[in-house]
Amino acid sequence: MRVHTGQPVPPVEFTPDAVTLLRFGAVTRNAHRIHYDTGFARSEGLEGPVVMAQLHGCLMHRAAMAFAGPGGRVLEVEWQNRAPALAGERLVVSGTVGAVDPATGRVTLDLVEHGGRGDVVCCRGRAVVLME
Amino acid sequence: MSAWEVAEERARAVIDRPDHRDLGVVRAEDAAEFARAAGETSPRLTDPGHPGFTVHPLYVVSLLRGAGGAGPCEFRPDGMYRDEVPGTDGLDVRLMAGGQEVRFTGEVRAGDRIAVRRVLTDVERKGSGAPFLLLTVEKTYSAERGTLARVRERFIVR
Repeated sequence: MRVHTGQPVPPVEFTPDAVTLLRFGAVTRNAHRIHYDTGFARSEGLEGPVVMAQLHGCLMHRAAMAFAGPGGRVLEVEWQNRAPALAGERLVVSGTVGAVDPATGRVTLDLVEHGGRGDVVCCRGRAVVLME
Repeated sequence: MSAWEVAEERARAVIDRPDHRDLGVVRAEDAAEFARAAGETSPRLTDPGHPGFTVHPLYVVSLLRGAGGAGPCEFRPDGMYRDEVPGTDGLDVRLMAGGQEVRFTGEVRAGDRIAVRRVLTDVERKGSGAPFLLLTVEKTYSAERGTLARVRERFIVR
């Protein structure tokens, strides 16, 4: 597959609800109350329970993996949290190819995660993949 | 001195002092549940019985503790572990994740015993109107056969 700079990364989406957050918190042993306790989250200045950073990372990773294809690999993934995402919010990660290194085959993807009604940037990130 | 200023002083005192954690042995069933909770649908990630099953690459680096969990005295009132964010134990400060950079250097396999080396590498003051601390923690995840991932994680302390 030929890849070029500026090529779109097809969007992937996920809507983690309160049950998702409880399951994700349980399996990662994350008991931080901002993820499940509405009253506590509000006392911290949030509108309600918020999505874990690692769950944002998983969506970034999924977008990169889908772009790399079944035989591809994700070598690196990174993300910076820009705005909290509330439980039940639809999250969409999309992006573009930022760089292609023909010598190594490494492809860098510039990624962004939108939440809210698609108007809030929850995370910005980057991934490096090897294509299938 | 405010609570976050105390946190800053404490955190600066432990820069470059590593600690080590044992995350226990990776179980395929836990990794599969992690993948399902993250919204994955591929049986390669969600079905431990699938012939091509692999541990989700972000599973281990997302663990705050291993399967053994933690005792009641290991938690802050906000539910975070007392030792998760350096310098904040016992302080009434607000904690948020700032982001992560993950570099995969090996494949995690079910049955791997995972060790983590954590070290606080930087403490910065940020913000003007509402100042906060940005802590950078670097983590190295290893199994017996070598290093599996390197992570740079940032925490916000207000």
